[in-house]
Amino acid sequence: MGNAFFVVWRESLEAFLIAGILYAWLQGNDPGGKGKRALFIGLAAGVGLALLLGWALLTVQDELSGNALEAFQTGTLLVAAGLITQMVLWMRKNGRQMKARLHADLSAAAEKSGFVGVAVVAALAVAREGAETVIFLYGMSQEGDYGALIGGALAGFAGAGATAWLAAKSLARLNIALLLRLSSILLLVLASALFVAAIDRLIGAGWLTPMLDPVWDTSLLIDDTTKAGKLIADFSGYRARPALTTLLAWAAYWIVVFIAWRRTGRG
Amino acid sequence: MKHALHSVVFGLFLALTAAIADDLPTYKLLMKDGRIIPETLEVPAGTRFRLEVKNEGPGAAEFESLELKKELVLAPGVTRSLVFFPMKPGTYKFFDDFHPETGQGRIVAK
Repeated sequence: MGNAFFVVWRESLEAFLIAGILYAWLQGNDPGGKGKRALFIGLAAGVGLALLLGWALLTVQDELSGNALEAFQTGTLLVAAGLITQMVLWMRKNGRQMKARLHADLSAAAEKSGFVGVAVVAALAVAREGAETVIFLYGMSQEGDYGALIGGALAGFAGAGATAWLAAKSLARLNIALLLRLSSILLLVLASALFVAAIDRLIGAGWLTPMLDPVWDTSLLIDDTTKAGKLIADFSGYRARPALTTLLAWAAYWIVVFIAWRRTGRG
Repeated sequence: MKHALHSVVFGLFLALTAAIADDLPTYKLLMKDGRIIPETLEVPAGTRFRLEVKNEGPGAAEFESLELKKELVLAPGVTRSLVFFPMKPGTYKFFDDFHPETGQGRIVAK
């Protein structure tokens, strides 16, 4: 029961956090409510995708389709990282414009593409970790331990929801500039973690060379094989023993983001 | 003509990679009820190998190693393989991400 709670909490936290941050942001920047609708459509689509992906993970056993699935999962990581980054920059630009003119007369097309982005980001956030949750819960149902299944899973979902709600609520209390800045930083750190995970997967699959591996070992400081360490690794991209390729990719990500950030600030 | 040549080369390439893949030394790992058997797996350093991971259940398992950059979710009763690239001698930790408290193991490359 305790384990079920922890696993479900951890697996669903990312999706709830992304949804919570987006919701908090839309609360201040989306008078029409279209963005929120896009967010909920995305979340619902994500649940469907998670079930589909979970089913695929359940049925696939042979190596060839295993590799295809692996490639697909790596792809979703990359797309999610890219889209979240792009969305943060879009939010930054829009937040400024909306502040400048109270009537947000952005072009309809720009607004629409932004909301599609919100929906896709939400869907991917739910689908990725949701698929693993599906398998985990399926496994528990096979054990026949329905009490622990329902209790642990519900408590886990509720816990993740509460964590994200708390984060969104405390974000929403801040003034709009600080809200925008903090939620952007949170989302970018999360996107960088997804990017690092994708690069690691590519190295693990042999599609990228690690070059030097590991560059250093900080497992004495934070050990990423422990429960808490893994959580930090999942959400920040921390690695106790990073490969040089991973390190360079991480640095490149932040350099590109930094440059784009400054650009949107000026424009 | 050029197309034919391409397909021949591609066919050879496929056959070759298939042959290499089939020649891989294979090691077996069992995940069972949140435990990993054996907890210490010895493999030769500097060679590619395949790890066949079987989850006997009950419950799902997730073979995961940030160090080895592998992640594999296994529903109960599922067996899947991972190919590992040549490792330097050393100890590499992995764990069952669905049972982090009991499922800890390591691969020792010698």
